[in-house]
Amino acid sequence: MRIIRRARNWEKGMDTELRFHLDQQIRDYMAHGLSRLEAERRAGQEFGALELAKDECRDQRSTEWLNHIFRDVRHACRSLYKSPGFAAAVIATLALGIGANTAIFSLIYSVLLKPLPYPAADRVFSVETILPQHNAQTLPMRIQDYLDWRRANTAFESFAALTPAQWNLAGDGEPERLGGALVSANFFSFLGATPQRGRGFSPEEETPGRQNVVVISDSLWRRRYGASPDTIGKTILLNAVPHLVVGIAPHGLLVPTNTLLHPTLAFGPSVDIWKPIAPTNDELQAENWNYGILVRLRRGESAERGRQQLQRMLNSSIHAAVPDFTGELTTRLVPIREIYSSQVRLRLLLIFAASGLFLLIACTNIANLFLARVAGRATELATRIALGAGRARILSHLLMEGLLLAVVGGAVGAWGAHSAVRLLVAYGPAELRNLSAPGLNFAALWFALAVSVGTGVICGALPALHVWRKDAAATLQEAARSALGGRGAARLREALVAVEMTLGAALLASAGLLLHSFINVMAADRGYNVERVLSVDLGLSDSRYAPGPRRIAFFRELTRQIQALPGVQAAGAIGGLPANSGAAVAFQTIFYVTDANPPAVAMQRPVAFIRSVTPGYFAASGATLRAGRFLTESEPTPVAIISESLAKRLWPNQLMTALIGRVFRHGDFNGPPVTVAGIVADTRPGALDREPSPEVYRPQTQRAGGTMSLVIKTAQEPAALGAAVRAEIRKLDPDLPIPAIRTMREILSQTVAERRFQMVLTLLLALAALCLGSIGIYGVVSYSVACRTRDIGLRIALGAPRRDVMRWVFAIGLRPVLIGLAVGLIAAVCIGRALRAMLYGIAATDPVSLTLVALILLMTAILACYLPARRAATLDPVIALRHE
Amino acid sequence: MSRHQQADLLQGTLDMLILKVAALEPIHGYAIVQRLQHISKDALQIRQGSLYPALYRLESRGWLKAEWKTTEGGREAKFYSLTREGRRQFESETAGWKRLCDAISLVLETPE
Repeated sequence: MRIIRRARNWEKGMDTELRFHLDQQIRDYMAHGLSRLEAERRAGQEFGALELAKDECRDQRSTEWLNHIFRDVRHACRSLYKSPGFAAAVIATLALGIGANTAIFSLIYSVLLKPLPYPAADRVFSVETILPQHNAQTLPMRIQDYLDWRRANTAFESFAALTPAQWNLAGDGEPERLGGALVSANFFSFLGATPQRGRGFSPEEETPGRQNVVVISDSLWRRRYGASPDTIGKTILLNAVPHLVVGIAPHGLLVPTNTLLHPTLAFGPSVDIWKPIAPTNDELQAENWNYGILVRLRRGESAERGRQQLQRMLNSSIHAAVPDFTGELTTRLVPIREIYSSQVRLRLLLIFAASGLFLLIACTNIANLFLARVAGRATELATRIALGAGRARILSHLLMEGLLLAVVGGAVGAWGAHSAVRLLVAYGPAELRNLSAPGLNFAALWFALAVSVGTGVICGALPALHVWRKDAAATLQEAARSALGGRGAARLREALVAVEMTLGAALLASAGLLLHSFINVMAADRGYNVERVLSVDLGLSDSRYAPGPRRIAFFRELTRQIQALPGVQAAGAIGGLPANSGAAVAFQTIFYVTDANPPAVAMQRPVAFIRSVTPGYFAASGATLRAGRFLTESEPTPVAIISESLAKRLWPNQLMTALIGRVFRHGDFNGPPVTVAGIVADTRPGALDREPSPEVYRPQTQRAGGTMSLVIKTAQEPAALGAAVRAEIRKLDPDLPIPAIRTMREILSQTVAERRFQMVLTLLLALAALCLGSIGIYGVVSYSVACRTRDIGLRIALGAPRRDVMRWVFAIGLRPVLIGLAVGLIAAVCIGRALRAMLYGIAATDPVSLTLVALILLMTAILACYLPARRAATLDPVIALRHE
Repeated sequence: MSRHQQADLLQGTLDMLILKVAALEPIHGYAIVQRLQHISKDALQIRQGSLYPALYRLESRGWLKAEWKTTEGGREAKFYSLTREGRRQFESETAGWKRLCDAISLVLETPE
């Protein structure tokens, strides 16, 4: 700005000065007796061309380099404007390469590298217990452990406990089901978060009877209470029990959601309500492994020493409670960062690797484009040098072109990266959303910009240096075809195409493997229906639906009404959809009825999910019966349907049919014995990333859960029935919160979000790479054809069949492609091996994907060669021979 | 006064002449032309097209400094004067010029 202002002042000064001179001259002439008109004419004549004089004055300025730059920019703009194809290709390549890399690195940075918003986050861990007998399965902790630990003197300075909870919120509008957490009173201060209004919890609020106080989330406060300051001190109804709102959590508070903290601790997709944990004496006696415990290490302490302290305390506590238990439990400390990124970490890194490959391809492409461009302008450059253009000027002009393209491409790329980050966060897996809106990472932007622009400028300037060394006349004589477009440069460009193809094949092959895996995952048999199934979660609160007859009656009546709706084939309910694994179900040890000393063997017995079901569930979910029968409306004695894998673990090497009528106990080893009524095929979680879990299905009449998911199998497209289902629920209970009614396909597609995220991104990168590759091939081939127009014309004139000409052109284009493809496929197999953990149902050498990739690449290459080949074949020999 | 009676200025000599005129007192462009014309008895006609570029060149080299002043006629004009460095430059150029003139005279005056 200042430079411009100064330049403007300078211009004004010069104007005034020259004008003064002219006026003086006129005055003098008039003094000598000339008329004013005559004086002006003569003075003007003598002065000469005013603008020319000004220009010469400008040239004398010391800041003239600035003008030179402006001139170069203008020149570069003009010459790029004249070759829009080149400019567009370079800008698109730059924008894609820079955009993709910056966006993905920005995500990686905010998910994996950026410090978490907790004080001393690197000293915060979550504690888990490893069960040695259960394939190193882990459990969260008990509330007793939290109380023990915080009393003891350990390597940790503070502890916090949290466990999932769900509430029905009524009053002030539609009833709503909210995810929340019971937390220790110090929870907010542990995380270094101060409520934006009101207060956190006080230690006294951890005592039973005083715990009905809550802190609500910023989003709930804004959404439901219009951000009213009166919300503090308000009494709200949670599960029909009045609670006092004492605080509003800070905006964007990062807490574990879903099953991030531990697979068996299912928080809601968002946590909106916090309430103090106030364990009763009964709860302190129970063995409830439902509590997440976060710990913060003292500064300078070793985590391993702290872990051993916790483990010692845990074992002595267990041995005191269960004297017969002789096993040893192991504790594990999980860094808090892994809690937030473990599931997405590997995929994100692999996507980053893919985007790195893509940047390489982009650079190769830019190098290629610049080489071809400079080669095409060899004559022009040589002419300019011969006419006396300074070589520094030519070099600076070429550099300016590169910079200009870089600025435009970089700007488009940055803008693209900015929108891409938003899109990725919005449509990517939930783990990305947890971390408050990641911004663009400028280091990544500069890096990508520097790499791609550097490539372009170097490739553009190297040939210019070549011109520099040669004397102009020689270059002119050699003209375009040799010198810069010579054999060496052509080889270099072919090599670049081969490299591009290699990288492209590797990228496309990994995308193919991931896509094929994804198709397999979506099509895999999970043991339940996916098509034409609706589901909705309903939570009956304890105060209005005490465990027992009212809950049973509610779900029996509801499923009966829904079954009667037209278009419904079957309807049932289950405590926690198998697709969502873990959510809202009990996870209990299974005992044999013959177990005499259960505590001692507890750690050796299998653990299974216990789910309540209504009789209609199996029909609605499409479960496969292996032996026995399904449940009926009335079951007089305790019965269960168990899953195949549980049956095999409980009674190995026995016929399924022989197991019907066997008896077991679950959870409480003094509880009633349960008879096996039937065995069903295993179900698997939607994401398929875990082994089928052992399951026990109990009739809802015998185990009335309050939180159930309706499962409705429909005859047609299920979405249309949503309103009717909602109306039926309203008819039974107008105050019950009804969350979104979703199809099973939607639920499933949410569980595979991470897999899809990786697959889609890799696929997009691969397709973009394919585009760049075809631009590269097209550029090289059409340039070769253009250079040899005369040869081709001669051949045609001498009677070469046009087919031969086309074959010759194809040979030019396809040779580097085939070499690149061969190397690329070998690389693809290596990449496939590295990706093995991400693949499903295929080997790293999956022939379907690899063949398809090879075909796609070949087709693209042939297409890219076809246009220049046809142009060559249809050349008019007369015109071609006059070429140049 | 016809054109061929004027002496053509050797390249570089204009700078020296300007420095000489500006050494006496601060002076504006038009006056420089007038003064040179007057001193050389109209033999030297300075074209404005070369005067101003030369002034700007000398200024940007730091040999002349310029300031805006009001002339007797009451108009704003740019007055040039010699800097210390300009004076040194002028002296060395004058010495060089004298040597050149002597040398040329010697050559021209040598009998054939």
